[in-house]
Amino acid sequence: MSLYNKSREDAHPSRDGHLLKRNTNHKAKTLKNYTPYLLCLPAILYLAIFIGYPLIQAFVLAFTKPSVGFTLDNLKSVLTSQGFKEALGNTLLISVIVIPLQIVLALFLSLFVNTRFKGHMFLIYVITIPLALSEITAGLMSYSIFSSMGFLNKLLINLNLIDKPIYFFGYTYKLREFIVIILSELWRATPLVFVILLAGLQSIDKEYIEAAEVDGATWWEKLTKIIIPLLQPSLLSALLLRTTFAFQVFGNIWILVGRDIPVLAGEAYYWQTEIRNANIASAYAIIIAILTIIFAFLYIKTLESSYLES
Amino acid sequence: MKKLILISILVLVFVPLSSAIAAEQLIFLSTQFNPVSEMQFITEEVLSGFTNETGIKVEFVPVQYADFVNRILAEVKTGKVVTNVIAELHGGFDYLLSENAIEDLSTMPELPERTFLKTFDEYSEIRGVKAYIPWTQATFVVAINKEALEYLPEGLTQDDVLEGNPNWDYEALLRWGENLKEAKGAPMIGLAMAPGGLFHRFLHGYIYPSYTGSQAKDFASQDAMDMWEYLIRLNEYIHPASTTWSNMSEPLLKGEVLIGWDHAARLIQALTTKPDDFVVAPAPLGPKGRGYILVIAGLGMPKDAPNKEDGWKLIEYLTRPSTQALILQGTGFFPIVEEAEKEITEGALKTLSDGVTKQANAPLGIPCLIPSLGAFGGEFGNIYRMAFERIVLKGEDPNKVLPELNERLEEIFEEVDVPLQ
Repeated sequence: MSLYNKSREDAHPSRDGHLLKRNTNHKAKTLKNYTPYLLCLPAILYLAIFIGYPLIQAFVLAFTKPSVGFTLDNLKSVLTSQGFKEALGNTLLISVIVIPLQIVLALFLSLFVNTRFKGHMFLIYVITIPLALSEITAGLMSYSIFSSMGFLNKLLINLNLIDKPIYFFGYTYKLREFIVIILSELWRATPLVFVILLAGLQSIDKEYIEAAEVDGATWWEKLTKIIIPLLQPSLLSALLLRTTFAFQVFGNIWILVGRDIPVLAGEAYYWQTEIRNANIASAYAIIIAILTIIFAFLYIKTLESSYLES
Repeated sequence: MKKLILISILVLVFVPLSSAIAAEQLIFLSTQFNPVSEMQFITEEVLSGFTNETGIKVEFVPVQYADFVNRILAEVKTGKVVTNVIAELHGGFDYLLSENAIEDLSTMPELPERTFLKTFDEYSEIRGVKAYIPWTQATFVVAINKEALEYLPEGLTQDDVLEGNPNWDYEALLRWGENLKEAKGAPMIGLAMAPGGLFHRFLHGYIYPSYTGSQAKDFASQDAMDMWEYLIRLNEYIHPASTTWSNMSEPLLKGEVLIGWDHAARLIQALTTKPDDFVVAPAPLGPKGRGYILVIAGLGMPKDAPNKEDGWKLIEYLTRPSTQALILQGTGFFPIVEEAEKEITEGALKTLSDGVTKQANAPLGIPCLIPSLGAFGGEFGNIYRMAFERIVLKGEDPNKVLPELNERLEEIFEEVDVPLQ
């Protein structure tokens, strides 16, 4: 037996042992291959039961009618209804106004807080309070501010600035209702964007800013040429989250103005709970899901391309 | 050791299970008392008394109208009836009877020491079958802040309003609203028009029959056109935030409005919080009479219900005068046995009770029962709401809107095979 062979035999005392080790290695490798799936399994099961199953049910309901079976009537009747057009228009309008305002507001707030002045932690807590509130609570709080007997009217009357209350709610005051919704949404949902942007800001290397300062960059140049480009992934995440949430906006508006300003999710709820037509309600839900998926897809594509460009 | 663990597990699992099976339990399915607070009251304050007295547990299952009908029909048609007692409105019993899905209660033992109000007792016998035992009644009334009585229009007195005299009509309400707006600088009449509010009941059960004599039959008639013309005028004196209110108690308590129409159960909070501030009046009169809704809830049993004896014990307990008075205190639903009226003393409940009684006794009354349209009940209400939104709020021509909506209204009645009311 050559030395070479001997050493090989030493390393692999027997052919059986060699096979055994190969088997064990194979098993370990197979297990390793499955590990990610096994780790994801609880989450997948949870999603399948609580999201997947209702989603399938919603599809079934949206495309069927009790006495007819499969039909496109539900979708047709939703898409051609005046209620849907109004709800879609309002949802988009609220999103188009609220999201950019939130992004700008949250950006400046996070820039301000990130200067880490004395007491900045207290300000963070104050800004993020609405994160702990449900949509309904936020709606009720806004209502108690703006109702005809609310804090704002009482304050203005006590200051002798007005002698009769200003009405913010009611079908005849739709514009005012809209302004209240915008203000309430800004207050309620800006903290989420703020937290994301603040985290993004804190991860920016200060050396870039210091280098720019050495080169004599102005505040505006630092913001537009360094901070915003480096903050882009956080900005896009915030945009993605806010846009998907914007299509689901409901509780706050429902509490404040009911159906005076219909929105998509509100219409789904109305058809389900008031009219008790689960088929039409599901058609609304499916439309909201499709719109959300389209917007999320567009954002992700934009995010990917900008990442590749950078 | 393993055996010991196994035995312990078996004991832990099966002993409570077997005792639960052994203990008597009734399933009480109800379309009434759905809101969480009412549900809690019925379970904790009302049914607990029955369990303490008889040892029989009751599972109270509040469900929506459409689910109720589906469930009972499914149980009866599959021959697997598990529900012992049901609580539903008159119309629901009527429908279940037409499907042969409820028991005739005329063979059950008599219920002593209670005298059911005659009208309700008569209603509960449908096509010769004792379909249910009347349980509670509810209606919608007008709550008025006493301050508003200072601004009554000429020719209308406080007595006229509270007694439901003939000159307390819809035109008088409009003139009153006008006076209030002038005096207070703002519209002072409120209606719960927001989703969740019961404004559609005002339209189909109050003002429609008052102007046309029926709830749906003359939906697009000339009388209806006159009614919509009136509503357009009245809207000037209705508080604009009404479209965001689903309940009139809070606006009345906050003083946002001085006159509010709503379900008695939804007004009770205002009346109990400030009992000295409010009075309750019947609905106004219209050209055809005084339309008002009579909500009758009854107790019955599904066809071939199990354990009828214990089910009957529950019905006996729930219709006792003392139980009915207790239900009134907690929910604002009124008793329908004469003996219970004695238990209503002074205070908010008395004010409400007087208003309800006066509405029922006021001259030219047109009592209306909510049509039993099953799954279409929501759409039925929505048609009236849509008519109001399009004609009054958006200013569309009623000659165009009403025939359009009437088509769907008639279809609904046809689909459920219920005659137009």
